[in-house]
Amino acid sequence: MQVRRGPATVTGEQRALTKPLIVRIGKASVAARSQETPRVRATNSDPRSKGLVAARADTAHSVHGPPSPGRVPVPRFRPPPLLLPSLVLALIGAAACRDRRPETPLASAGGRSATSPRRIVSLSPATTEMLFALGVGARVVGRTRWDSYPDAARAVPDLGDGLRPNVEAVLAARPDLVILYETADNRDAEERLHAAGVRTLSLRIDRIEDFARAMRVLGDATGTASRATLVVDSVTATLERVSRATAALPRVRVFWHVWDNPVFTIGGGSYLSQLVDIAGGRNVYGELAASSPQVTLEDVVRRQPDAILAGPVGALSLRNSPAWHAVGAVRWGHILIVDTNLVGRPSVRLGEAAVSLAALLHPPPRRRGVLP
Amino acid sequence: MIRHLFWIGTALALVALVIAAVAFGAVPIPLGSVVDGLAGHGDPAAVAIIRELRLPRVALALLVGAGLGMAGAALQGSLRNPLAEPYLLGVSGGAAVGAVIATTAGLGGAATLPLAAFAGAALATGAALLVARAAGGHADNRVLLMAGVMIGAFANAAIMVALSGAPAESVRGALWWMMGSVADASWPSVAWLGAYTLAAGIALLALAREIDVLALGAEPASGLGLDAARAGRRIFLLSSLLAAATVASAGLVGFVGLVVPHVVRGAGVRRHRPLIAGCALAGATLVVGADLAARVLRPPGELPLGAVTAMIGVPFFLVQLRRLS
Repeated sequence: MQVRRGPATVTGEQRALTKPLIVRIGKASVAARSQETPRVRATNSDPRSKGLVAARADTAHSVHGPPSPGRVPVPRFRPPPLLLPSLVLALIGAAACRDRRPETPLASAGGRSATSPRRIVSLSPATTEMLFALGVGARVVGRTRWDSYPDAARAVPDLGDGLRPNVEAVLAARPDLVILYETADNRDAEERLHAAGVRTLSLRIDRIEDFARAMRVLGDATGTASRATLVVDSVTATLERVSRATAALPRVRVFWHVWDNPVFTIGGGSYLSQLVDIAGGRNVYGELAASSPQVTLEDVVRRQPDAILAGPVGALSLRNSPAWHAVGAVRWGHILIVDTNLVGRPSVRLGEAAVSLAALLHPPPRRRGVLP
Repeated sequence: MIRHLFWIGTALALVALVIAAVAFGAVPIPLGSVVDGLAGHGDPAAVAIIRELRLPRVALALLVGAGLGMAGAALQGSLRNPLAEPYLLGVSGGAAVGAVIATTAGLGGAATLPLAAFAGAALATGAALLVARAAGGHADNRVLLMAGVMIGAFANAAIMVALSGAPAESVRGALWWMMGSVADASWPSVAWLGAYTLAAGIALLALAREIDVLALGAEPASGLGLDAARAGRRIFLLSSLLAAATVASAGLVGFVGLVVPHVVRGAGVRRHRPLIAGCALAGATLVVGADLAARVLRPPGELPLGAVTAMIGVPFFLVQLRRLS
C-alpha cells in the first residue's frame, strides 16, 4: 500500500513552488486593502463593520513595510506531530462570540484604555495563533497543552486542556481576559471565572467566516483592530488564490476521517469542508449541516470517495483495519495524510492549510504552471 | 415437547435474524442486490458492504453471543449461582483492562489481544473468588456477585485512569468499545474469535458432566469422586477464556450470559451438555438480534450493542434477584 505523505515530506521542488506563495502573504495583505475582498465584507453585516472600515484607514498609517517577523507568524511547513486533539478542539469550536464582562470594570494597567487586557489566557490553539498574529503575544500568560504555534507560544506557561480547563490553574496565572472555546463543556469554567471577576470571551469557529469574525472580536478586545483586518485580508487573499488555481481542476471526492469507530467525519458545517472545496476537492459528506457528524462505514462505502483525508494516527489505524478495506480508497492506498497541527486549526494559517490540501489533492506535476 | 419447540424455534429465529441482519443496515440495499452481493457480482459498493461489512459483522455477533451464552451457563452451573455471569463477576472488566494495557503497549493484534484479555480476566476472577472464599461466600450467592461487581467497578476506574492522558477522540473510541460493539468486525477477527470460541466451547462440552456434578454442590461432588476445587477452577478458566475472547473483539457486552441460560433452562433443558449447546444457540440469536436493533433503531447513527443487551438484561436481573430473596 502506498500512502502519500503530507507537507511533512514536501520535496524541494514543491517547497520552491509553495514558498513564494506564502511569503507573499505579508505583502498581499497590504495590497488587498484597496481590493476590499468580498468574502470579508460579506461578514461585515453587523454595526462593527463601520469600525472596521475606519480601522482600514488607520492601517494606511500604521502599516508601512513588512511587519516585524517576531510578531506576525511566518507561515511555514512543520512536521505533523501526532496531535489529533487540536483538530477535535477545532471541530468542537463554536460560531457565535459571547463577550461577558463582570460588573466591576477592570483597572487600567498602563496608558491604554481601561478595558485593554494586559494578561490574557488563551484556551485554544487557534486563538493563541490569532493573538500572536495580532502582535499581542507578549500579553499571553497562559495557553493549552496543545498550543505549538508560533514557536514563541511554546514559551507561554502550559495550563493543561482547553476543554473543561483547570480553573484554578487559569486563575493562578492572574489573567484579566480568558479566551475560551464556546462549547457546553466550557460553560461551567466560564461561569466560575466570572464569579472570580475575570472577563471571558467565548469564541466558536466552525466556518471560515467565523475566523474573520473571531479576529475582529479579538482585535477589538486587544486594541489591534487594524492589524486584525490586515491578517484577515491576507488569509482571504491566499484562500482566493488557491481557489482560483484549483477552479479548473477535476474535483477529487474525499472522505475526511476524524475517527473510525464510531465513524465521525467532517460535514458541510465545518471550515474543513470549505477548505476541501477551495483546494479542489469535494467532501462526500458536504451536504450534512453538522460540523462533525457521525456516519456509518456502510454509507462511506456507498459514497465511494476517491481519497481519504486523515491525520497520521488515523491513517495508520485505517490501514490496519480490515473492515475499512471495504472502502475502495483505503484498499487502493489513496489515504492522504494531512498535517493536523496546521489544517486542524481554523486560524491565521488557513491560507497555508488550503495550499497544503491543494498539494495533497492535486500533486505538483498536475499543478505546475496552474498556480500564479 | 417444550424442549423440541425450543430447539426448533431458536434455530429458526437465528436463521431469520441472520437473514434480516444481512439484508438490513445503514444503507438500504434492495433484496435482489443483496443476493447478487452475496454471490459477488453487481454493484461493487453493494458487494463490499454485504461481503466485507455485514457478513463479518453478523458472524462476529453470532460468535460473541455463543461464547457469552456458553460462559454464562458454565459459570452458573459450576458456581451454583443463578446470577453468575462474566460481566457481573468482573471477568469482562478484567479482560477489558488486559486488552487496554495490551493495546497501549502495542500488542493489539487479533491473535494476541484475546490472550492479554484472558490474563486480565483470570486475575480479576481469581481475585473475586478469593474474596468470596475469605468471606465464606459459598454459603451466600450474593457475596461472590458483590465481589465481582466491585472488581468490575475497579476495572472501569483503572481504564479511566489509563485513558486520562489520552486525547479526547481516542477516549470516545475507548468508551464506545467499552459499551460493546461489533461494528468493527472483519474476517480476521471473526476467524480468531471463532477459533477461541470453538476450542473453549468444545472443552466445556467435554467437561459438561463435571459441571452436572458440581451443580449438585461441593460435598456430593467429592462423594462422587470428583476433585471439586480442581474441576471448578478448570471450568472457571475456560469460561474466562471464552468471555475474554469476546471482550477482545467486541468490547463489553453484558447480561447475555445471565439471560440466556435462564431461558434455556426454562425450556426444560437441565443437563449441562445440551444446556451449553442450547445457550450457544440462544446467545447467538440474542446478540445477532440485539445488533440488528442497535443498527436500525436510531439511523443514521448506531446504538452501542452493550447498551441494547443491558436494556434487556438489567430488568431480567432485577426480576431474578427478587425471586432469589
